[in-house]
Amino acid sequence: MATLAAGASAKVPEVRDIARIERIGAHSHIRGLGLDDNLEARSVSQGMVGQQTARRAAGIVLGMIKEGKIAGRAILLAGPPGTGKTAIAMAISKSLGKDTPFTSMAGSEIYSLEMSKTEALTQAIRKSIGVRIREETEIIEGEVVELQVERPASGVGAKVGKLTLKTTEMETIYDLGTKMIDSLTKEKVGAGDVITIDKATGKISRIGRSFTRARDYDATGPQTRFVQCPEGELQKRKEVVHTVSIHEIDVINSRTHGFLALFSGDTGEIKPEVREQINGKIAEWREEGKAEITPGVLFIDEVHMLDIECFSFLNRALEDEMSPVVIMATNRGITKIRGTNYNSPHGIPIDLLDRMIIIPTSSYTDKQTMEILKIRCEEEDCEVSEDALMILTSIAMATSLRYAIQLITLSSLVSRRRKSNEVAIEDVKKVYSLFLDEGRSEQILNEYQDQYLYDSKLPNIDKGAGGEPMEA
Amino acid sequence: MSISEGSLPWLEKVKSAEKTCIIQDGKRKVHYKFNDNEEMAEEYNMQTDVLVRRAWRRRGALKKDGDWEVEMGDPEPMAVQNLGSGIGLMEANNMPYVVKRITKGNIEWRIRNLHFPLETYSVSANPTENCITVRTTNKKYFKNLPVPELERVGLVPKQENISFAHNLNVLIIMYKKPPEVLQAEQAVLALIKSVKTIKDPGELPCNPS
Repeated sequence: MATLAAGASAKVPEVRDIARIERIGAHSHIRGLGLDDNLEARSVSQGMVGQQTARRAAGIVLGMIKEGKIAGRAILLAGPPGTGKTAIAMAISKSLGKDTPFTSMAGSEIYSLEMSKTEALTQAIRKSIGVRIREETEIIEGEVVELQVERPASGVGAKVGKLTLKTTEMETIYDLGTKMIDSLTKEKVGAGDVITIDKATGKISRIGRSFTRARDYDATGPQTRFVQCPEGELQKRKEVVHTVSIHEIDVINSRTHGFLALFSGDTGEIKPEVREQINGKIAEWREEGKAEITPGVLFIDEVHMLDIECFSFLNRALEDEMSPVVIMATNRGITKIRGTNYNSPHGIPIDLLDRMIIIPTSSYTDKQTMEILKIRCEEEDCEVSEDALMILTSIAMATSLRYAIQLITLSSLVSRRRKSNEVAIEDVKKVYSLFLDEGRSEQILNEYQDQYLYDSKLPNIDKGAGGEPMEA
Repeated sequence: MSISEGSLPWLEKVKSAEKTCIIQDGKRKVHYKFNDNEEMAEEYNMQTDVLVRRAWRRRGALKKDGDWEVEMGDPEPMAVQNLGSGIGLMEANNMPYVVKRITKGNIEWRIRNLHFPLETYSVSANPTENCITVRTTNKKYFKNLPVPELERVGLVPKQENISFAHNLNVLIIMYKKPPEVLQAEQAVLALIKSVKTIKDPGELPCNPS
C-alpha cells in the first residue's frame, strides 16, 4: 500500500511533465503478472485482477522462459472472450524485460499478399529468438564540463553546439550536430553528468553525476547516482552486448544481394539459403563464445484463425531446438479447423493440442469486474462516483466487460459537458441509452429485421427496395 | 640476433593473406585480405620504399562494413569521415589530433594543435599495455599511442628509444626503430615485391555489381 502511494505521488509530475507518448490501449494498465515471491497470485496487483490460477500457471511458464533452456513449448490460453487472455500474455511480456524478445501477432496477420503463410510464421518465429552478440565498439566516456547550444535567432535552421567533456587526465571539445543536440536534450544531460556516447550509433547513456558536483545545491532526486570522473582517454574501446533477433540478422544479410533487394525491401521473403547461412554463422559464434542465444516468446492471439497448413507447419517448427516458446490464445470452443471440414476443440488439430499445455481462464465475478473497471477508470483518467461504478459493474455483468470499459471515457466526456469532474449515474445512463451493446443490437435486429436490406431470414422481402438477395 | 623468415606470426599472416598490388600515382599500393574478414591497405613510396600509409578494415559481427581505420599516415579527410557516421558528434577542429609516420629509422607521431610549452608534456613508455603514454601536467591532454610495429615482432616500448620535441604547436614524438622491426619491414617488403603488380587499373579483380 505504502509503495503504491509513493509510486503514485512520484509518477504524477513525471507524467504531466513529459508529453505522454504512449496512448492508452486496451491493455496499457498492465505492468506485470502480479505475483508475489512464491509465485502466488495477489488478487489485485500490477493491473491484474482475479484469474489467480491462470496467473499462477503463467508465472511458472515465465520461470521456464527465463531459464531459457526449454525450447519449442506451446502454451494455450483458452477461455471466453474478455477474460484476460491477452492481458496475461501482455503481463508475461512486461515481466520478461528488455533482453528477452517477445513477438506479438494475431492469427490473421499471416494472411498477406506479400508473402506466404509459412514465410510469415517463420519470420515471426525468428523474430522471437534473440542473439546476444558481444562486440567491441568505440565509446566516448567523460564528465560534461559544459554544454552550449546555439539556436538560430530566426528559429529555423540547424542548431549548433559545443560539448566539453573531460576525464581526470584530459579535456576535449566536440562540435555537435542537430541530431546529437536533440538526443542530449532528450536525455537531459547537463554539466556535471558523467555520460557515455556510443560512437557508432550515437546512443547516449547517463551513468550518474560526478562526485565533484555532489556539493552543488541542486535539488537532486533520490535516484541520483554519484560516480567518479572517468580516468584516462576519453575514447575507449569497450565490449558491449547487443541483443538482436535472428530475423534482423536475416534482413541485414538479405539486403546485400545487389540493388534488386531494394525492391523487395525487408518485408519480402527471405531465401532459405540466407537463413541456413545465418544459422551456421550463429552456431559458429556460439562455439567461439561470441554469441549467446536467448529464446523468447511468440504470442499468437486468435490462434483459431490459423489454418491447417499453419498448424502442421507449427507442429514441425516446434521440434527445432532453436524455436521459441509459443503462447497462443483462443476464445473458441469446439469448432471447425480452418481449411478443413473437421471439428476440433478450440479449432486446433488434436495432434498440436497434444503438444500444448492449456491454461484456462474463467469469467470474472462482479467484485473482480468492479476492480478492473476501477483500474481502467484510473488508466483513462476518469473520476467515477461510487454508485456510477456500481451501475457500470452491473452493465458489465449483464452485457460484457469490454462494453462497460468502452462506456468509461464516453460517460466522462458526457459528464464534462455538464461541467462536472466526476461521472455520475445519469452520465452512464445517458451513454447507455445512446450506444447499444451487442445484445441490444441483436434484439433490435430481431424485432425490425424486415426493414433491413439483404435479410436472409425472410426470403419474401419486398424486391422493389433492394437489389438481388445475397448469396448464402 | 636475426629473424629467420616465417618465425613471426605477423610474417606468417602477411604471407598467407591474399595480396593485390598496383602502382598508381607514383605509389605502390598493396591490398591484403586476411582469413578472418580483415582487410589491410598499404601505400609505399616508390623511391624510398618507406611505408606511407596503412589502414585496416574489420568486419563487425553483424556483417556491417566497418570504416577504414588508419593505423599510420594521413587520416581520411574530414569530409569522408563525416559521411558515414551521422551521429552528429565530432571533435572540434582546434582539438589535438595524432598523425603517425614512419621514416627510415624512426616511428614518428605528430600531435597537432597542442599549444602548451614543452615542459608541460611527459612521454613515457608503458610496457604493460604496449603503448607510449603522453600526459600533460595541466591535465588537458592524454593519449595512449599503441605501437603495433613493436608488438608484431614481440617487443615492448623502451623509454631510452623515445625522444620528443615541440615546435609550431606540434608535439613530435620519435621512437628509434629497433633492428628487429627493421628486419621485419624488409621481409614484408621483399614479400610484396614478389607479388605480381597490376599496371592497368582495369585489371583489378573486383566484381562489378
